[in-house]
Amino acid sequence: MENLGLVFAVVGAALAAVLAGAGSAIGVGISGQAAAGVVSEEPSLFGKVLILQLLPGTQGIYGLLVAFITLAQVGVLGGSADVSTAKGLMYLGACLPMAIVGLISGIHQGKASIASISLVAKRPDQSGKALIFPAMVETYAILALLISILAITGVSGL
Amino acid sequence: MAVLEMQRMTLCGLRKNRKAALELLQRRGVVELTDELTPDEIFNRTDTSVQCATFDKNARAAQNALDILNQYAPVKSSLLSMLEEKPRRTESEYYDFYAASAKVMDIAYDLVQDERIIAEKNGELIGLEARITALEPWLGLDIPMKYNDTVSTAALVGYLPQVLTLEAFYETLAQADANHPPVHAEVVGALHNSTCLFLLCHKDDKKNLEATLRTMGFSYPAGDCTGLPRQAMEELEARIARTEKEIEETIEDIRNYAPAREELAFAVDYFGMRREKYAVLGRLCQSRHTFVLTGFVPKRAGPALVRELSERFEAYTVCEDLGPEETAPVLLQNNAFSAPVEGVLEGYSLPGRGELDPTSVMSIFYYILFGMMFSDAGYGLLMTLATGIILLVKKNTPMKKSLQMFFWCGVSTVFWGLMLGSFFGDAIEVIGTTFFNNPNVSTPCLWFAPLNDPMRMLIYTMAIGLFHLFVGLVMGIVTKFKQKDYFSAFADYFIWILLIGSLVLILVPTPLFYSIAQMEIILPGWLGTAATVTAVFSAVFVVVFSGRESRNPFKRLAKGLYGLYGVTGYLGDVLSYSRLLALGLATGIVGTVVNQMGSMFGSGVLGAVIFIAVFLVGHALNFAINVLGAYVHTNRLQYVEFFGKFYEGGGQKFNPFKIQNKYYHIKEDQQ
Repeated sequence: MENLGLVFAVVGAALAAVLAGAGSAIGVGISGQAAAGVVSEEPSLFGKVLILQLLPGTQGIYGLLVAFITLAQVGVLGGSADVSTAKGLMYLGACLPMAIVGLISGIHQGKASIASISLVAKRPDQSGKALIFPAMVETYAILALLISILAITGVSGL
Repeated sequence: MAVLEMQRMTLCGLRKNRKAALELLQRRGVVELTDELTPDEIFNRTDTSVQCATFDKNARAAQNALDILNQYAPVKSSLLSMLEEKPRRTESEYYDFYAASAKVMDIAYDLVQDERIIAEKNGELIGLEARITALEPWLGLDIPMKYNDTVSTAALVGYLPQVLTLEAFYETLAQADANHPPVHAEVVGALHNSTCLFLLCHKDDKKNLEATLRTMGFSYPAGDCTGLPRQAMEELEARIARTEKEIEETIEDIRNYAPAREELAFAVDYFGMRREKYAVLGRLCQSRHTFVLTGFVPKRAGPALVRELSERFEAYTVCEDLGPEETAPVLLQNNAFSAPVEGVLEGYSLPGRGELDPTSVMSIFYYILFGMMFSDAGYGLLMTLATGIILLVKKNTPMKKSLQMFFWCGVSTVFWGLMLGSFFGDAIEVIGTTFFNNPNVSTPCLWFAPLNDPMRMLIYTMAIGLFHLFVGLVMGIVTKFKQKDYFSAFADYFIWILLIGSLVLILVPTPLFYSIAQMEIILPGWLGTAATVTAVFSAVFVVVFSGRESRNPFKRLAKGLYGLYGVTGYLGDVLSYSRLLALGLATGIVGTVVNQMGSMFGSGVLGAVIFIAVFLVGHALNFAINVLGAYVHTNRLQYVEFFGKFYEGGGQKFNPFKIQNKYYHIKEDQQ
């Protein structure tokens, strides 16, 4: 049981990658359906709606990022893997903001993207503004990412 | 740098010159027409909607024909073709086209007709193929499908809606009617979920048997197939071959028109231009011998246009300045460094009346913020090179502005990549260690690597954010000065700089800040005192003057307190700039992940090949997702945080009467 800390840390990293990735998958998936619908009517809007579809995809990347930093810090990716149980739990906790917020914001950013996609379908000239609405949702994913990164680097310094 | 000043132009000319004058205006493309004059007994408008509709119809038919031609006789076009500038045609070619247009339109209608024929024939083919599918299971039948009865026997040919073997058929028949008449059955074939049957019985039993079979769902084949199935099949196949040949011939016919492609493209433009012209013609006020039109013209383009119109058409033209209460359409003018981001501004809203054009200030921040978020020297270099080369080779590409924008963004990205030490992630270290066994090489890092000290970077991003917000407030002050609203400049903008600035000065020396930032900043004591004084003063000022438009003192106090609550908004705004750090880290770390995955297979030849493959795919993906992220979030910081401080927008875009050609550029004849 002396490796329990490592277990916690890896679980945390996995959660960040899994939940944030799932959020992005859902978000990109639902907005992709809307985008495909628009393109079936108006193929020239492909570029604009593709960008909107991709917006909820960043949570998955952030999740990957947090997972990667965690794995690197605890030494799973090479180096010594020696983490106390308390520290491992801290890593787990540090991963949670990205995991949970990534999941939820990914889904909701997908919904905002759908709305923006239909906005672009009706008024293609307003695509600049349409980008901003989903980007608002992403702010919270970015804040969560920031806290996760700060916490992970902070924990490793303890 | 600025919103161009507009003038109102009034043009009065001879009616016989009206079309030529309009064509000149269309080619110059500097006048936005307005409908200010109302028709009366002398001046009235001509209805040109019929001509417009005709030109529109022709333009659409030509476009349609062109699409058909491109479908059946495609021209090879590369991905770069969208960067290509339009080929040129001269003015005289435009006038000469009038004579040729009828012939070109004949070709266009031929093509449209051919396409219709192909569609019909394809429909026929589908029908024929369906009949073949239905006939296929009957091929084993060596008598006609509509078999006439012999002297004493009757035949039943048809389907049962189940898949049955012969035994199973007899069983089901017995179940349906235990005393069924003697019958000879053959299973000919199966189709979907039904069985094709041939049944022979005594003539007298036919009615009986038919009734029993019907309860089992028996049905006769559809269609008028009287001959042998095999013969029918051959006939159908022949017809399909014939139809296919006809389609081939029609396609060949379409392909023969390929040399007319350019003329068709020009016809689209030609009729489009004429349609535009006639639409404007319908808006002119005309008397028996004269016409009048009004419009907006940029001040700097005015004199040249006036001279040209009076010289060539003896037209009387005046340009006069607009009154202070009038709203003019907005046309921006900026230098080569700032102009590329005009599109971003337009995506938000163009400056309204009395507002500054924030493009030049915005452009500096735009490039800086983009660079910080993308923050990889390798990616930046790729972006700069790609856009730079395209801009050099294709000088007049329609995407010039976007390319220029990404060029400058790329330059900034290279700068930040070098500062923060990222070149395709940590590609230099990974390649050095894995393939050259030299762990000493490292990516140049002129400042510091944010992952090693994220708190420090966070503080810097917020400092940049604070500066950005202050610049926004200064822009607000300048706008208010321009509008001569000095009190608002002080009470709504300057006071916030004071308040936020002094709050920051109070916060920085505290232990709280030290514990977060691990940075100890000691300010002289008098500065702290001064900051406290100004903070209190400006806070009180905000409370007193935020609600100054309310007469009710309680309402005013409430509004003032709410105004002070706006401080939290500034906190949120500043925190929002932390995305600079987050997105910057994201680019670098995902790049590192890619490198690490690539280097997992060791240093051999196979390892190198895999490394290159992973490197290319991984970095391409990372590049794409991060360039999108950087673009979106730079826009967001500009729109929400920066513009939110001072900019309202709401201007109408200057929309001049001009040539809006899709395929050709009309070049002026040399005179």
